[in-house]
Amino acid sequence: MNQLVAPAKSLDKSKTPGALFSTLSIPIAILVLVVIGSIASPSFLTVNNLTNVLNANSAVGLIALGMTFVMVTGGLADLSVPANVAMGALVTLGAQETMGTAPAALMGLLVASMGGVVNGLLIGYLRINPIIATLGTGSVLLGLSQLLVGGGIVYAQPSALSTFVKSSILGIPVFIWIFIFVALILHPLLARTSFGRWSLAVGGNYQAAQASAVPVRFTKAAAFAMTGFLAGLCGVLLALSNGQARPIIGTGYEFVAITAVVIGGTSVFGGNGSVLRTVGGVLITALIGNLIILLGFPSQATGLITGAIVLGAVGIDAYFRRKAGRL
Amino acid sequence: MKNFDFALLGTRAVQYRLVIMLIAVAVFGGLSLDDFLTVNTLQSVLDRATVVGFLALGLTPVLIAGQIDLSIGSIMSMAGITTIFMQPVIGNVPAAAAGVAVGILIGAVNALMVVVFKINSLVATLATLLIFASLALLLTNSYPLSSEDPIFGLPLTADFLWILTPRSAIFLIAAVLMFVWLKLTPTGRNLYAVGSDASAATSSGIYANGYIAASFVLSGFFAGLAGMMQSLSTAAGSPVAGAVMLIPAITAVVIGGTRLEGGRGSSLATLGGVLALGALTTALEYNGVPSYTQAIYTGLLLILLISLDRIVSGHGGASSRAQRSVRVAPRNTPLPRRTA
Repeated sequence: MNQLVAPAKSLDKSKTPGALFSTLSIPIAILVLVVIGSIASPSFLTVNNLTNVLNANSAVGLIALGMTFVMVTGGLADLSVPANVAMGALVTLGAQETMGTAPAALMGLLVASMGGVVNGLLIGYLRINPIIATLGTGSVLLGLSQLLVGGGIVYAQPSALSTFVKSSILGIPVFIWIFIFVALILHPLLARTSFGRWSLAVGGNYQAAQASAVPVRFTKAAAFAMTGFLAGLCGVLLALSNGQARPIIGTGYEFVAITAVVIGGTSVFGGNGSVLRTVGGVLITALIGNLIILLGFPSQATGLITGAIVLGAVGIDAYFRRKAGRL
Repeated sequence: MKNFDFALLGTRAVQYRLVIMLIAVAVFGGLSLDDFLTVNTLQSVLDRATVVGFLALGLTPVLIAGQIDLSIGSIMSMAGITTIFMQPVIGNVPAAAAGVAVGILIGAVNALMVVVFKINSLVATLATLLIFASLALLLTNSYPLSSEDPIFGLPLTADFLWILTPRSAIFLIAAVLMFVWLKLTPTGRNLYAVGSDASAATSSGIYANGYIAASFVLSGFFAGLAGMMQSLSTAAGSPVAGAVMLIPAITAVVIGGTRLEGGRGSSLATLGGVLALGALTTALEYNGVPSYTQAIYTGLLLILLISLDRIVSGHGGASSRAQRSVRVAPRNTPLPRRTA
């Protein structure tokens, strides 16, 4: 309803405070965090520290990239992420001995993607509420992954693949390269291809998209399948680089990923968003986590500060949007 | 004709799912265990279902109003540690009241974020989930507090009236009271109107935002109650007590038949969902099924019921939560922008 007339209005909105806020907020936030960091601690602005920060957050960053598509298509959120991460990790290490590392890793990816496909079928085709569907599949998959390993820890065998995952290319860890690579694929996918336009249309106005012959069900399902695959990739990489995996390996990742996407400015209502903004959101959450430790706060405070920032960012954004709506 | 009968069967199965589930659990439990169908088991099922029950009961009005509250687990943890911490400071009963008050307070914070600052309830309560889970860990330095007066909370789970314990009695009374409020009073019926279409409700003179705010405060109150009772009856305030409670609570509400899309639901249905889930978990546990396998069954049950419900009720006419949110708060509608 409102959405139908909105694009016409938004054409002339480039100079409102709201538009300025949303374009400039991410670079400014990153800049502010870097300034605070370099004042607070001499070890902040070192190549070593920044590489470590990015390396530690690339895993959850991969999930945030997928979650962007979920939110853009109006799929709210994928809460089965921890289960798919655990599946990817545990299947990889569990099957490593019998089938070799690379096939086992592929198997882990495949199983996690299957989880994502099931989510996609339930949400895209059966149109079940995403929160309920992913809570259900998450519960089942996490239970299955624990059943696979009897609820304990699985250890990795040394292998060429895990050495590669832990190594660096041109001084940058492989983890970060993978994150950059995936982001470089997914950003144009959302911003430049017809699949991306479908995603935005489905999230913006489902009925209108359906009427315009957009494959609405497929688009929504694909977003969840993609997130399942990326969660699996995250699990496989974590398992190989940590050398062990437990069923709780991905606990809380769904919330961190949602936080990064929301801080990046993608709307939870769907219909707008960008992968580049999510990359910004991942950077911001990563820097905040690092600052909390460098400033000497206890690490338990991370959730407190991240949550407060989400409320602040979304609240201010909602305020400007309402103001722009009145003008 | 055959097709029609099948559809009717499906509809009936969805309609009477709680009865079917309870009977199935009773048969399965009775066949697999010698002493399952006893008064003791019934008492234990009821008593153990109480904590999830309070959370689910609080969640019901929020869902009817078309919102969601993900922070109930964190509220429960905060209320629990507050109760145990305050016990030696201000006495047993005031400490319990303080625990519940913390719940109400956090519920009010949620209401403020959703109603005044117009933040989508999924995001707002996700943020308060993170904030208060983290605060609970910070305040206790990640260690559970143990009670100074462990005897005080014991009567809560003691024998009382045949199959009841005091806390399950309070839970049953609360469910019935909420049912009376929702179905028989004008304010209760208004809540359904707000949940089905907030702007239509506003047009007909209902102060929609007030109802939405009240539902969050109520949810905080019940989560506080759950935390207070859990901590008193176990004589410990764990900072992570509520972390695992969110999913069973949502499952119980949804099994009962309350929709996440708003405008539909009932507290007695939630009571049924809580009991069915509680009976299933107890039967599995008595059979020695590990908790992670129980999660598989619970999840499958949730998916099965919701899919069946969706297939039977058909695809048309159901608007997604996101679209409904647009109607709830028109000013909050994000304008689609061209992404660079």
